Amino acid sequence: MSDMRRYPRGARPQFFEDPGLDEAMSMILVLASELSVLRDRLDTYERLSADGKAPSQADVERYQPDEETLNAREAARQDLFERLYFVARKRAQEIAEQDHGQRYREVLDDAAGQPGSPE
Amino acid sequence: MLNTFQQQPHDLLPSATHDERSRQEFAKSLKGYVQQGLLPGLAPVYQKRLVRYEGEHGAVPKDRRETRRMMIPDAYFQTYASANRVAQELLWESVLTAIQRQQPELNQRAQELSAKNASPLAVDPAKPAPRYVTGIDIHCMPGGYADATSDDDVSTGALYDRGVYLYAMGYMGPTNDDMGRSVCNYIRRNMPDFAPKAILDMGCTVGHSTLPYKEQFADAEVTGIDVAAPQLRYAHARAGAMGLNVGFMQEDASQTSFADGSFDLIVSHILLHETSAKAMPAVFRECFRLLKPGGVMIHADLPPFDHSDLFSEFILDNETHYNNEPFWGAMRDMDQIQLAVDAGFVRDQVRFDTAPMAVLEFAAAQAEGYSDESAEEVADRDFKAGEYAPGGGWEVLIGVKGGDPS
Repeated sequence: MSDMRRYPRGARPQFFEDPGLDEAMSMILVLASELSVLRDRLDTYERLSADGKAPSQADVERYQPDEETLNAREAARQDLFERLYFVARKRAQEIAEQDHGQRYREVLDDAAGQPGSPE
Repeated sequence: MLNTFQQQPHDLLPSATHDERSRQEFAKSLKGYVQQGLLPGLAPVYQKRLVRYEGEHGAVPKDRRETRRMMIPDAYFQTYASANRVAQELLWESVLTAIQRQQPELNQRAQELSAKNASPLAVDPAKPAPRYVTGIDIHCMPGGYADATSDDDVSTGALYDRGVYLYAMGYMGPTNDDMGRSVCNYIRRNMPDFAPKAILDMGCTVGHSTLPYKEQFADAEVTGIDVAAPQLRYAHARAGAMGLNVGFMQEDASQTSFADGSFDLIVSHILLHETSAKAMPAVFRECFRLLKPGGVMIHADLPPFDHSDLFSEFILDNETHYNNEPFWGAMRDMDQIQLAVDAGFVRDQVRFDTAPMAVLEFAAAQAEGYSDESAEEVADRDFKAGEYAPGGGWEVLIGVKGGDPS
């Protein structure tokens, strides 16, 4: 085993007010990566066992995905990111549509028939 | 459009196990998502902040630094910027673990492949690289360009080779040579009679952009220089693996040991922004000194900020603060034309231009994963700050040294 440097020189920037959240965001994405790796491995296994014969570990290692498989896996990863970042994307959409908590409360007031509401 | 551009294997490219490859693909896909999925949401977030800032301060931010201070507390920006950073870290980690596993074999193979390259390899592991290269590891690549575990180690070269493909998400082409290829095409189209015999590529790293010059000008003597010995060892062996005789020498582009007037063509690709305020003018002076009369200098890098679009400028400058690019922002405040003039070039012989990307050629050559459709999408798009592929072309600074060519 070599002694290649694992951590880059240069202080890591802090993105969130709580440095623990920086750690957590990294951990979440590492876990998402491992989930994706497992999914690919299962996909490889399924594709190789389509003829009903179980592939060996060496068969899995030798496997080279074709264009269709590459596309399917890329699409699956992009879907995973869409779900992972659901809340962030939702927030950006609210801002783009100029929606906000005040409008939510107005709808509540309307529904409750508060004085001054149009109903 | 899904991106499934694949790197073309060569005999020195580190291999990956099934799972290592999946991790690499994940990091590449995440980079794509950050740019295509998260970045667009930042524009309305910025607009909202701008309105609030103007209300509080009576004016909008006057420069990218104030814009940055305005955006740092924003939750959406924090999510975007941290995801971008983690994607970069996952990228290097996914390649590093694969290289560690096969490091002795890679170093051995590099020596065998180097023997196939008839041009010289001249490195001096005792010669230190400048501080702007060693102070912090550029692009967050662990070990930077110059770390080596032995005098024959090529591992950071291997890390860079695979890392560039993932970082560029394949937009650099199957052999990561789009910049060199684009400049070669530019020369062929715009200077059809120019036939350089001695070509120098400054800051060549593993020679991605160096090799196209040997393909284009087969009779020319092509030399790549860099300050990092492991990159050069890898470059020399990689050229050998690709059947090209190209020399690689450990030289500092701001102060080389070549004689005056040694070259007809001097090029660099994304070198200048990795230097420093002191080294960059010296690189221009060195280009002028090393060119023969009538010789041509072409630097493919980033044009100066024109301060017309602070949002884009702020997004681009994130590289400085979040991706270990010490000179990225400062470089873009420098007047590159003036630097060339100060170095001896005549003003009307220095200009910026755009060299169209060669990405369509990869599709035409039916490289794996490069469809006509996906390549055209890249070639036709407009530049968007924060995305890797600039779209359309690379900015090039061209200077011609006066005098009659001999």
